[in-house]
Amino acid sequence: MHELTWGLPVILYLFLGGLGAGAGAVSASVLLRSGGGDQAGLGFKIARCGALIAPIPVILGTGLIVLELGTFEAGNWFRFINLFKVINLSPMSIGSWVLGLFIMVSLVYAYTFLKADPHPGDDRHQLRKLSAWAMVVLGVGVALYTGILLGAMPARPFWNSPILAMLFLVSALSTGVAVILLGRSVFGKHVDENGNVSSDAYLLASSDMLLIGFEILVIFLFIMYSHLTIGSVKVAIGVILGGELTVLFWFGFVFLGLLLPILIELKYVIPTLLFQKQYEIPRSMEVLVSVLVLIGGFLLRYVVVIAGQITGPIGI
Amino acid sequence: MSESKQQVSRRDFIKKMATGSAAVATTTVSSVALPAEKNKRYAMVIDTRRCVGCQACSVACKTENDVPLGETRNWVEYIEKGEFPNVRRSFLPRLCNHCEDPQCVSVCPTGATYKRKEDGIVVVDSDVCIGCKYCIQACPYGMRFINPKTGTADKCDFCLHRVEKGLVPSCVNTCQGRARIFGDLNDPQSEVSQLIATNATTVLRPEMGTGPMVFYIDADHTDERDAKKQGIYVRIDTHRRQQKRV
Repeated sequence: MHELTWGLPVILYLFLGGLGAGAGAVSASVLLRSGGGDQAGLGFKIARCGALIAPIPVILGTGLIVLELGTFEAGNWFRFINLFKVINLSPMSIGSWVLGLFIMVSLVYAYTFLKADPHPGDDRHQLRKLSAWAMVVLGVGVALYTGILLGAMPARPFWNSPILAMLFLVSALSTGVAVILLGRSVFGKHVDENGNVSSDAYLLASSDMLLIGFEILVIFLFIMYSHLTIGSVKVAIGVILGGELTVLFWFGFVFLGLLLPILIELKYVIPTLLFQKQYEIPRSMEVLVSVLVLIGGFLLRYVVVIAGQITGPIGI
Repeated sequence: MSESKQQVSRRDFIKKMATGSAAVATTTVSSVALPAEKNKRYAMVIDTRRCVGCQACSVACKTENDVPLGETRNWVEYIEKGEFPNVRRSFLPRLCNHCEDPQCVSVCPTGATYKRKEDGIVVVDSDVCIGCKYCIQACPYGMRFINPKTGTADKCDFCLHRVEKGLVPSCVNTCQGRARIFGDLNDPQSEVSQLIATNATTVLRPEMGTGPMVFYIDADHTDERDAKKQGIYVRIDTHRRQQKRV
C-alpha cells in the first residue's frame, strides 16, 4: 500500500466536490429558511451568492476525476459513460448518480438566479424553490458519499471508519459557507465606508463557527477511536500521530484550518452572540478566515487520501 | 447453483400448474431434483514445502498473459529470517485469491469485475471497466494494477482462457516442484479437496473477511512487525516493482 493510486486529481475532486456541494446545500437551506424562500432580503442575497458558486467547483472537480481514469489516460475518453449504464451498491456507483443529479439541479438552481434582478415572486421563483429543496438533499448526499467512498474498504484501515463520512460532510458544509463568505467579501457589495462588512454576514460567520466546532469534535472522535483500537487501524492512524503526515495534519489542518479560523470568528461573533451587539468584522479578517477554512478543507482531503494509501493491513 | 435450481423449480411449477394442482406444486418445489451440472469452485493449494523460489510461475504468467513490464499478476516472495545457524528461508507465491467475498467486486461501480457463478473465478471485463482504480484500493492483497495498454484494471484470472479448455493455469502447469495444485473444491475427489482435508492450511489476511480461495501449506506469515516482536532478523524480498509487501 505504498503507491499513490489516487493522486492530486482525486484529492482536488474530494475538496472541490465537497466545497460546491456544501455551498449548494447551505445556499438552498438559507433560501428556504427565509419563509420557505418567499421573503426578500438577507437570506435571498446569501442564497444567490451560494447558488452561483456551487456548480463551478463541482463541475471542475468532476472533470478532474474523469481525467485521472485509467481508460481516459489510455485514450479511451468516453469510457466513463459506463458509470451511467448501471447502478449498483458500490458507493462510487450511487455517488456518480447523485453527483450527476447534483450538477444538473445545481445548474437549474443557479439559472433561477441568473437574471438582472432576481427576487422572490419573479417568474423563476417556483423553479427556484423546488430546486432548492432538491439541492439540500443532493448537496448533503454528494458531501457524504465522498466519505463513504473512502470508508467502504477494510483494506484501507485509515479510511475504514464510519465517522469519516461525517467528517467530510461537516468539512464540506464549512468550506461551503467559507466560499460564500469569501465570494461576498471579494466582490465586496456588503462592505460599508469604514471597511467593515455589513452585519448580515453574521448568519454565515456564526454558522461557520458552529460547523468548525463540530468538525473539531468529529476529528477528535475519529482520532480517539482509531487510537484506542489495536492492530491495523492503530498502526494506520500512527501516520498522523508521529508519522510522516503529522506536521501537515496538526499544523496545516488542525491549527491553520480549524483552530485559527474558529478563534478569529469567536472574537467577532461572541459580542453579537452573547451580548446582542452589532456584528462587525473587518473585510480583511473575513477574507482571512474564509481562506484559512478553505486551506484546511483541502489539507484534510490531502492528508486523508495520502494517509489511507501509505498504510495498509498489517501482517500477511 | 441457485440459478439452475430456480429454473428447474419453475419448470416443475408450470408442469404442475398445467395439471391443475397448484397446491401440490407448492409442496413439491422444495423437494426439487439436484441441478444436472454442479457449479465448480476453483481453488489453488500452494505447498510452500515444495516451492524452491525458481520464479518459473512468475515468468510463465508474464508470457502466457502478456503482462506489461513493471506489473505483476503473479510473483514469489522470499522470506529470510534468523541468524546462523538458526535460519530459515521460505517462499510465498502470490496471486489473486479469487475470494469468496471479493471486496473488489463489491466496490466496482460498473460491474466490470465480478465473480463467475459457474466457477468462482473473479474476472475483469476490460470492455466495461473504466479504470477508476477503486478495486485497486479495495483489494487487501495488492493484486490489481492498471494495464497501461487498456487503462483498465488487470489481475490474475486463474488463466481463464486455459481453464475453460480444461487445462490448468499456466503457473500450475510450469511449476517444476508441483507446489501449485489447482482444482475444484466442489469435487471431494479433486486433489485440492484432498490436500485441504489432510493438511493444515492457511490463507492470507483472513481477518479481512474475504475468504481467499488460495490455500497455503506451511506458509511463513512472518513480516517485519512479527520479527521485531520476536527479536529476530527478517528480510522480505517481494521481487516486484513494489519493494514493500502490499
